[in-house]
Amino acid sequence: MRLMTIALVAAFAGGSVGAFAAERTISQKGRTFSESDVTVKKGDTLTFVNDDNIAHNIISTSPGNEFNLGSQSPGASSSVTLSGAGEVTVLCAIHPRMKMTVTVTE
Amino acid sequence: MMRCSSRVLLTMASAITVMMIAPHGQAAEPTTGAVPRNTPASTAELKAQYRRPETIPFPKDNPYTVEKAALGKKLYFDTRLSGANLLSCASCHSPAYGFGDGQPRGVGHGMKQLGRRSPTIVNAAFGEIFMWDGRAGSLEEQALGPIRADVEMNMPIDQLLDKLKAIPEYAPVFKAAFPKEGMTPDTIAKAIATYERTVVSGRAPFDAWIEGDEKAISEDAKRGFVLFNGKGGCQNCHSGWNFTDDSFHDIGLSDADVGRGKFLPAVVKMQQAFKTPGLREITRRGPYMHDGSVTTIEAVIEHYNTGGVDRPSRSELIKPLALSAQEKADLVAFMKTLTSDMDPTTVPVLPR
Repeated sequence: MRLMTIALVAAFAGGSVGAFAAERTISQKGRTFSESDVTVKKGDTLTFVNDDNIAHNIISTSPGNEFNLGSQSPGASSSVTLSGAGEVTVLCAIHPRMKMTVTVTE
Repeated sequence: MMRCSSRVLLTMASAITVMMIAPHGQAAEPTTGAVPRNTPASTAELKAQYRRPETIPFPKDNPYTVEKAALGKKLYFDTRLSGANLLSCASCHSPAYGFGDGQPRGVGHGMKQLGRRSPTIVNAAFGEIFMWDGRAGSLEEQALGPIRADVEMNMPIDQLLDKLKAIPEYAPVFKAAFPKEGMTPDTIAKAIATYERTVVSGRAPFDAWIEGDEKAISEDAKRGFVLFNGKGGCQNCHSGWNFTDDSFHDIGLSDADVGRGKFLPAVVKMQQAFKTPGLREITRRGPYMHDGSVTTIEAVIEHYNTGGVDRPSRSELIKPLALSAQEKADLVAFMKTLTSDMDPTTVPVLPR
């Protein structure tokens, strides 16, 4: 019985995370994102790591994927799950030239 | 929004210099990273970061045309775009004052003083974000804001359309610029933005020096350039050929205006933070700062030398510099090399 429970948990965990959602890490350094264009699937998670020596504030105002990850100190990381399909412009609200495009597919 | 898709080589009658259109250009690149060493080699590298571009970037969804820029110039100088028929864009962004107004703070409808200094439109084509607090993402978005603001030009856009349609000579100018769309709020904004993008700073002594003429600027100014990029740390924010990072910083002024903090209330460093202004044509653009509180370039340098008000929101890049009198003078000498001999701007004959 105990083995079955563990197997079921693993199956649900695999079904809800491993099989459908992925995580992608983006670095911020020199006031630049490590990637300018990425493509992910709906439900995937993007993690932004601040490898700079100044604070950043990642935001998106793209319809369906609006978010504001707040002030991010050097060394900190923040994640966001993208829930809508479409093109998302991600930028730093403090340094608006820091910009990248995320294409979210179904 | 990806903005830059075309570039224009223009002879700008109003402003200033010669630039060019080329497809798929990019805006002037921001400069980033650590302060370079002040060796001869690194000075050469530094100079390369400040070389002026040869083309003006225009966005894909509003490419340059002669007709559009001509219409935009008429609209820019037309006081009938204000509710009282007294203010035009040029009232606060006048070529007579480096496309600012020479006042500490702008003056709007009913001659009432506004909250912030009128920023220049010089080199707006190269901007990433607009207004002191960054509330406009494009020049097109920005253009209609002051027209409709009741404290500025006080002209509701629907009423403006009726007003302009009642001026017979505007219709053919709009038709030439926008054959399909004609006169709409969107085309008014696009035309004004197109004209504004043609206002680019002229070749200054600094540019000649960057391009190899060692006699173009004084030895004082050359030392100032090294200080600007070294001990002064000015280039941390005033970077690239237009001397701005288009980012937001609290520089420790005493004014209580929250600036960018209005849109990012939870971000400590954005309280009292404002967009870094470019430094081109700087001697024509005083008084300085978002609140016009500093009257001379010398006083600007002194502000940065002391570091202003030390508070949690003040940028970590702002700190006392301990500059000597000579160093301050050198920085001022350098700043003065950024002003060009701007050609006079021809004021357009307006439709009647």
